[in-house]
Amino acid sequence: MKLRFLLTALLLPLALPAGAEAAPAPETSILRVNITSQGYNFALPWQKQRPNTRRGLGALLAGNRVLVTAELAQDANYIELEQAASGKRITAKVEAVDYELNLATVIPDGDPGTFFQGMEALELDTTLRPKATLDVWQFENNGAPVTSSVEFNRVDLAPYFLEDQFFLIFQANGAVQYRSGTFTLPVIHQGKLAGMLVRYNSRDQVSDILPAIMVERFIRDAATAPYEGLPGIGIRTASTLDPQLRSWLKLSEEDGGILITDVTPGFSAASAGLKEGDVITEMNGFKIDGRGSYQDPDYGLLGSGHLVRGKANVGDTIKLKIIRDGQPLDLNVIMLRKQAQDYLVDPYVFDRQPRYLILGGVLFQELTLPFLQLAGKEWRDRASFRLVYAQANQDDFLKAGRKKLVFISGVLPAPCTIGYERMSGLVVNQVNGKDITDLASLAEAVKTPTDGIHRIDVQDGPRTIYLDDAQAKQDNAEFLPSRYRIKAMENLK
Amino acid sequence: MFCPSFLRPALLVCLTAIAPPPALRAQDSADEKTSSLGKQYESIVNVECSALRVDYRTPWNAATPSGGTGTAFLIGPNLFMTNAHVVSDASRITIKKVGDSTPHRARVKFIAHDCDLALLELETPGPAFAKAIPLTISTEIPKLDTTVKVVGYPIGGERISVTRGVVSRVDYQEFSHSGVDQHLAIQIDAAINPGNSGGPVIQGTNVVGVAFQGYSGDVAQNTGYMIPTPVMRRFLKDVEDGKYDHYGELAIQHYPILNPAQRKALNLPDNDTGVMITAVDSTGTCANALKVGDVLLELDGYHVDSTGSIDIDGEQTEMAEVVERKFVGDKLKLKVWRDAREQEFEATLKAFPAYLMAANQYEKQPEFLMHAGLVFQPLDHELMGAFSLTNLRTRYYYDYYAQDELYKELPEVVVLTSILPDAINTWLRDYTGQVVGEINGVKIKSLKDAADALDKQPDSTHVVIKLAGEGRPIVLEKQLIAAAQERISRKYGLTSDRYLAP
Repeated sequence: MKLRFLLTALLLPLALPAGAEAAPAPETSILRVNITSQGYNFALPWQKQRPNTRRGLGALLAGNRVLVTAELAQDANYIELEQAASGKRITAKVEAVDYELNLATVIPDGDPGTFFQGMEALELDTTLRPKATLDVWQFENNGAPVTSSVEFNRVDLAPYFLEDQFFLIFQANGAVQYRSGTFTLPVIHQGKLAGMLVRYNSRDQVSDILPAIMVERFIRDAATAPYEGLPGIGIRTASTLDPQLRSWLKLSEEDGGILITDVTPGFSAASAGLKEGDVITEMNGFKIDGRGSYQDPDYGLLGSGHLVRGKANVGDTIKLKIIRDGQPLDLNVIMLRKQAQDYLVDPYVFDRQPRYLILGGVLFQELTLPFLQLAGKEWRDRASFRLVYAQANQDDFLKAGRKKLVFISGVLPAPCTIGYERMSGLVVNQVNGKDITDLASLAEAVKTPTDGIHRIDVQDGPRTIYLDDAQAKQDNAEFLPSRYRIKAMENLK
Repeated sequence: MFCPSFLRPALLVCLTAIAPPPALRAQDSADEKTSSLGKQYESIVNVECSALRVDYRTPWNAATPSGGTGTAFLIGPNLFMTNAHVVSDASRITIKKVGDSTPHRARVKFIAHDCDLALLELETPGPAFAKAIPLTISTEIPKLDTTVKVVGYPIGGERISVTRGVVSRVDYQEFSHSGVDQHLAIQIDAAINPGNSGGPVIQGTNVVGVAFQGYSGDVAQNTGYMIPTPVMRRFLKDVEDGKYDHYGELAIQHYPILNPAQRKALNLPDNDTGVMITAVDSTGTCANALKVGDVLLELDGYHVDSTGSIDIDGEQTEMAEVVERKFVGDKLKLKVWRDAREQEFEATLKAFPAYLMAANQYEKQPEFLMHAGLVFQPLDHELMGAFSLTNLRTRYYYDYYAQDELYKELPEVVVLTSILPDAINTWLRDYTGQVVGEINGVKIKSLKDAADALDKQPDSTHVVIKLAGEGRPIVLEKQLIAAAQERISRKYGLTSDRYLAP
């Protein structure tokens, strides 16, 4: 009895001062997040790359969720949450991640114990407008908080993380010190989370901030399984500022409007009957100008992409007014979503092993953008032309019945592959007489060689590759595992 | 033989900026105190060529004068042999002989850009070369490790220069003058420097080659190349009829048969014979003789091994050598393995002009068409380089023009290369570098098609130009065009709005 009483008395003084009057401050509302990432090697897909540990900062949200960028959390192997001042750490895991939105939440892996005691979750400020002063929070190496002030003065659409994906960005001016080994930093407005700083240009002292209104979308979506993600419309457009184009399209001078130059088959716009040559003049009641912008009630002139990807959810209807052949027309587009794996060429691959199949040393893969990007920043000029061309013209391949582009990415010298060592970047059309539409169909086709020989028809190079089935099986079982230390000869998941 | 781009070696030939010449070799052996060449030096001359190189970005302009010097040698009465690249695009050629500073005007008699050879003649043959003795061209290829001399007028001084070395290698090389042709070439380790081009390589008293290209010193040491006598002799034979024809091409691709499964699948005997045919151009030499999947066993009686090599006169060489020695119109015998049995076919050797898409262009006034400030030009290697064209579709037409037989549909690929800025085209500047698909609904298959389509007044109020793979058409109001055309021509100094080759 006496012992128990004594313990309680000791704990109370510790708990009280911390919990009672805490207001959001760097030391109580943001945490260091130490993430060790290890992605797969897209050239040798049976193995992972060297692990890479990075430190970033996360914002504590309700429910012991810590908000970080997806860029930081990509291919996470091991995560620690760390209190900057005390250095106290717990192990954590990714709860939800959206690489398009560049957001992820990290939660404790198991019982956090007293880790969050005395900490204060941040609320989101989703009503922020330009002309506001924001605080960027971070820590010194010794754990002392550092605050930099920046002026939020501009709204635009810009990529968050993946190229070619444009979302709402708040731009702010002002110097931000480099203190935390990262420019992924929480940004605060009057004690609430205004967004996450995702990029900082030190020469112009301009910060790109992923705003809280997009964070809220992500948190809301993540709260109910399954995570849906953002919808897309599936069109390409061109401006109609050229008066000669306008007169040919029979547009009046006041109409504004944006010309549809390409419609992705089978996606939202195509399903609604939109066609190349249509001119969109209104979206959900907002007039679209000749550059494709509209007057947003909150942020002023903004690209109409925000109405599609920024505001709409999967299943929502976007009401369009269009002009077709000079005649006005109303159309409703139901917004659909395309997952990364729904594309012929995955635009990104994280947190999973690339699919591959090895037959006697011939390495088959499904084409992904990260594979092409192995050729470096100039991959469009340097990667195998046929593959780059396929990536840029995916619809043609989808129409021809392919789901994925299966290709020979390389050849491991083995007894079975004598004479074939220099093959790479070859698109596979048929194997043993069967059309190859994805790697699963290849795995089926290699089960039925004729007279003990595989026949692999490819677009260029040898055109037909002959492989001995018995030798391939033997090499898959002995030579390749022992010489190249490959444990699994395929990954189809 | 034409070399497909994916087979081409990364040859860093530098003809005009080779590193400074190495120190002169000591010649100290007693028997070489007197030159074996003697009077022959008089037949080896210095060629000075003023050339005009056109700028494909301003095809309406006169060309820019430039120039260079090289070497030539007398091979017959008033007949000098040199490299094509020494006298390409020439506006004026002069010849000087050793120990005589008088320039003699000369002109090109025949030029072969595919094998980098040319024949020159003096415009007015005078007494200057009356006593010169033509050099004799050897009938043989010099053996490995035998000594040769290179004579010419390279940088490092004004007077004639002699260097010597041995035959290092006999192999196929890309000829960088055209950038796409491969022929037999001989590598020697004698110093070859800028100015040596076109000069004779001599063994004993006979010419065994023409010095023509080399690597610069920072890429490879003592690596110079000469055109050997079979290529020289072929050129001389070709022009006997008064004109130069192009080399013939098999227009096929092949792949080695080194994997046992290939032999098993094709029921081929295991005797190191035959290559797999992987592409046959449907308009080329072998269109009616070969099919993809055939195995070529014999070419004109020569046994083809499993890597595509043949044995000629005891030398292992590429099977293309058979074609190299023939002329367009000659017959070829092919023995193939098809349906698990031997079959024989005959083919007639043809040229294959489609591959010239990727070749350097010479002696050519660039074609163009300017309409409302939009400049249209036919795609070729010069255009790719001049405009650094990177559009993916344009690159496809360029890279796969021969291989995917795009030439059958498109005799010329018309590109919107640039725009001369004016009020009529101010919104169109983002669309340059793309291939033209249609004009007013007419499919464009040549620059002439484009000119015809634009000359013909459409019934509608607008001219509509569709670029391949681009959803945003280029639209011009018909009524604005004539005034713009006049205004742009005047401001930008175009004397004509087009040049179409006859």
